[in-house]
Amino acid sequence: MTNHWIDIQHADVIMIIGSNAAENHPISFKWVQEARNKGGKLISVDPRFTRSSSISDLYSPIRPGTDIAFMNGIINYALQNDRIQKEYVVEYTNAAFLVDPKFGFRNGLFTGYDAGKRKYDKKNWGYQLDDKGIPKMDKTLKDPNCVYQLLKKHVARYTPEKVSAITGSPKDVYLKIAELYTSTHKPDKVATIMYAMGTTQHTVGTQNIRTYAMLQLLMGNVGMAGGGINALRGESNVQGSTDHCLLWHILPGYLGIPKTQKDVNLDAYIKNNTPKTNDPMSANWWQHKPKYLISLLKAFYGDAATKENDFGYDWIPKASKPYPHIVLFEDMYKGMHKGGIFMGQNPVVGGPNANKEAKALERLDWLVCADLWETDTSIFWKRPGANPKSIKTEVFMLPMASSVEKEGSIVNSGRWAQWRYMAVEPPGEAKSDLWLIDKLFKEVRRLYEADVKAGKKVALPDPILKAYWNFTHEGEDEPDPHTVAKEINGFDWKSKELVQNFTKLKDDGSTASGNWLYSGSYNDDGNMMARRSQKDAPNGLGMYPEWSWTWPVNRRIIYNRASVNRKGEPWNKDKAVIKWTGSKWVGDVPDGGWPPDKKNPFIMIPEGVGRLYATGLADGPLPEHYEPMESPTKNIMNTQKLNPATVILPGTKFGASAQYPYVATTYRVTEHWQAGAMTRNLPWLTELVPDMFCEISPELAKKKGIKNGDKVQIISKRGNIEAFALVTKRVQAWNVNGKKVEMVGMIWHFGHGCAVSGDSCNQLTPHIGDANTMIPEYKAFLVDIKKV
Amino acid sequence: MADKAFLVDTTKCQGCRACQVACKQWNGNPGQETKFFEGTEFTNPKELSAITWNHVRFSELDRSIPERPVWSIRHTKCYHCNEANCLRVCPVKAISKEDGWTVIDQNKCIGCGACVEACIYKVPHIADQAYEGYKSIKKDKSHKCHACVKNPREIPACAFACPSGALTYGERLKVIKEAEKRLEGYKKDFAEASIYGKEQFGGLHVITILKYKPEKFGLEVAPKPVDMTKVEAVNDLYALMSLFTFGLTPLKRSAYKLAKSMVSREKLS
Repeated sequence: MTNHWIDIQHADVIMIIGSNAAENHPISFKWVQEARNKGGKLISVDPRFTRSSSISDLYSPIRPGTDIAFMNGIINYALQNDRIQKEYVVEYTNAAFLVDPKFGFRNGLFTGYDAGKRKYDKKNWGYQLDDKGIPKMDKTLKDPNCVYQLLKKHVARYTPEKVSAITGSPKDVYLKIAELYTSTHKPDKVATIMYAMGTTQHTVGTQNIRTYAMLQLLMGNVGMAGGGINALRGESNVQGSTDHCLLWHILPGYLGIPKTQKDVNLDAYIKNNTPKTNDPMSANWWQHKPKYLISLLKAFYGDAATKENDFGYDWIPKASKPYPHIVLFEDMYKGMHKGGIFMGQNPVVGGPNANKEAKALERLDWLVCADLWETDTSIFWKRPGANPKSIKTEVFMLPMASSVEKEGSIVNSGRWAQWRYMAVEPPGEAKSDLWLIDKLFKEVRRLYEADVKAGKKVALPDPILKAYWNFTHEGEDEPDPHTVAKEINGFDWKSKELVQNFTKLKDDGSTASGNWLYSGSYNDDGNMMARRSQKDAPNGLGMYPEWSWTWPVNRRIIYNRASVNRKGEPWNKDKAVIKWTGSKWVGDVPDGGWPPDKKNPFIMIPEGVGRLYATGLADGPLPEHYEPMESPTKNIMNTQKLNPATVILPGTKFGASAQYPYVATTYRVTEHWQAGAMTRNLPWLTELVPDMFCEISPELAKKKGIKNGDKVQIISKRGNIEAFALVTKRVQAWNVNGKKVEMVGMIWHFGHGCAVSGDSCNQLTPHIGDANTMIPEYKAFLVDIKKV
Repeated sequence: MADKAFLVDTTKCQGCRACQVACKQWNGNPGQETKFFEGTEFTNPKELSAITWNHVRFSELDRSIPERPVWSIRHTKCYHCNEANCLRVCPVKAISKEDGWTVIDQNKCIGCGACVEACIYKVPHIADQAYEGYKSIKKDKSHKCHACVKNPREIPACAFACPSGALTYGERLKVIKEAEKRLEGYKKDFAEASIYGKEQFGGLHVITILKYKPEKFGLEVAPKPVDMTKVEAVNDLYALMSLFTFGLTPLKRSAYKLAKSMVSREKLS
């Protein structure tokens, strides 16, 4: 989230799209309701009518996988009717920037496409530069090569009629939504977007989010109280685990993973990964990246990290190719992995193409499952259809402590790092994750040391033997989470004194920090994450700056310098996030202390302004509608069907609409949690939702002879499952390109490992992902359905 | 102590069912074994029971306004009538009022089912079994919501758990005032919106703001109180017969049933 949960109350318009907050983030609705109590309006856009829709002022259906058409259409409406916040757009976005005249767009392809590689060469996507190397601008927005004109031309094709034909949103409802949403183009009006996996889990997931961000920039809503782009995180600490590099493509603090071929040494990494600018108006905060990387290496390797050995840069893993979930399992399926450690992961239920992923587990020599309960994955060898005798994988089940049985931090969607104490001892032999990792590392190191001592040839011993590892106090068995937190914050290597925040980190090896983004969370003022003062900031916006700690540097709303004009006066005086008094900023911690007219507000971007046109993406600088990999219709916007930059892995299977005519999507319900291991064992919750079910419309049910509560079989190219059918008016066919298209919606909480069980819908989902992130396309695929 | 009441605002209810779970958690009630969904939409179990004292009912979606379909989701539990039929019919005075709340004393209850039959809202239920590990439920005794007065807490568990402001708790007169104020605002979106609970049975302690008229939810606007002449006849006869039940609950139960059938026959003839 750019903003935070409490801040939602300040929105005049809330659009919930690609998420179902009432069901999956029920507490968030406290603030949605608060906004509505103050006269705010709620828009719900969802393939089916949900519990979030039940509170909304306007509801529109949408066919899964068509968000770009939906949002490009609203952007078009805003530009055609001049419903944008002009001053913000001119000053704080790249609307006025001039793009290389060689850049173009034809037949759904941007300049530079290589069909063989399914990749773009981006050399003609750049800005026109002046003699100082600064992008040229036309602040009148009239130049045909300026971003504003390129965008206007691009989205002009997304007429309400076209959008309606693609998305299934009725035109009159769609126009009402466009009008209501764009009413927030006024400087003192603001809208927010609440999104989640319904947006991201598509072959166009990243571009889906781009459209939200672009619309918010055009409305002047980013940086504002009640505005921003708000990703609702699906697990209580997903934000924290992402910040600390859960994903394959980053090191802690969003430092890009070094690439084997390009980033051959520290100098090369720094050169390739540190953005530059000649624009004096740009703060270009990522210029400090070397300080953060070298402090991280120092935290990893301590005294062993020296200037002479690139601070141990050679010892950190490099990516020779992308390693997202799908690729990991495809490789495992091919027998490329020996073993696996799964902590809080249950891919037999939650992984896409789960049959294949369960099969891949059979190719492992060993598997460690560390979890609260026996999960479906830990018993994959006795899943329905498997023959335990033929599976040789040795499986270890390690019982782990739950969140209330251990101490540490947890980071919510609003980036608030909140310290938690241990409430009760873990039961039986259950241990904290920290204990497990500490013990595992020490044992691995002991084995390495023994081999080295015995003179055996050991592959790559340095990353293990040179690691700086001291999280357990003398005589203790349990590592100290405070020691970990202090290392994350960072300290002066020689004196071991904690640094105040990341502005004190250096690139000469004199400081160590486990994650620059969290620097300031545990310093000489104490454990900032443990703070619990309920005093609000003087601006009275519910930021509670002394409750926990927010990255970066306790800033509650990021890009908040965009909430004021060039003079530092808030666009909305009644909800002033920050303001310039003439000599200093007051309110939230500003995005840098420079006077408002001295630096541009978007300090993480070298241009210093929000990007309506962004060249960093694999699939184009402007979002374009492409159909999902499995789609029931042709693409009426261009001649490409699938996102041209999406990777299609060899050996993956896809179905066609002739055989699988119904659009399937997956989602969660309030009553269960993720893959269900935590909730399918709780009788109070299984009372509410005891069985795997799908949702279909009364019309489809009639056609297929299915009655409410009947058992049905759902079939895709990758498998088939059984489920109960909930026949509901909340589901309706969409009118797509003149044809009725029906939907089969499924929950994904079920598997065969708990007190209540059922088939996992992910036995049906495909192994294809987003062009940028490879997040799986769980949310739009094709199935058939019949009565059992 | 000022008279308290719950305010159920169905326009704010998002159907998360935290209330249903919180009630079971706080009162230590077992989960009910269910299959698929036993009521409309997500409703589960089908209705209130001896172990489910508060319950969320989902209705079918009304799509007559395409851009603003209406889905009614309604928290239900004992309404705690001021003049409660259940209390009036109980032959052993096992039901009493505590701070305005209608409470069943299971130690006195003989499980005769008089309250079950008298409640037009189908709230109390006799437990047909005991549950291992759940002491709150006693076999052959009547059970229902007691507004957490038996397991006292500042705000009853259901209202405390509600994240959206759909279920709140406060002084009854203030609750009614608030409901009336809100109703005015809701008329714009829900032309038939109504308030239920102001007058029924001398006033209920659960005030519900509905998206339609009460009748649409099967709620009687002017329900008749139980016929007290008949009740008194049955209870007088039972009092006499119970002298011969040796303090044994099963016999008391039989005595009540017999007394009731005798009075009915008498009435018919």
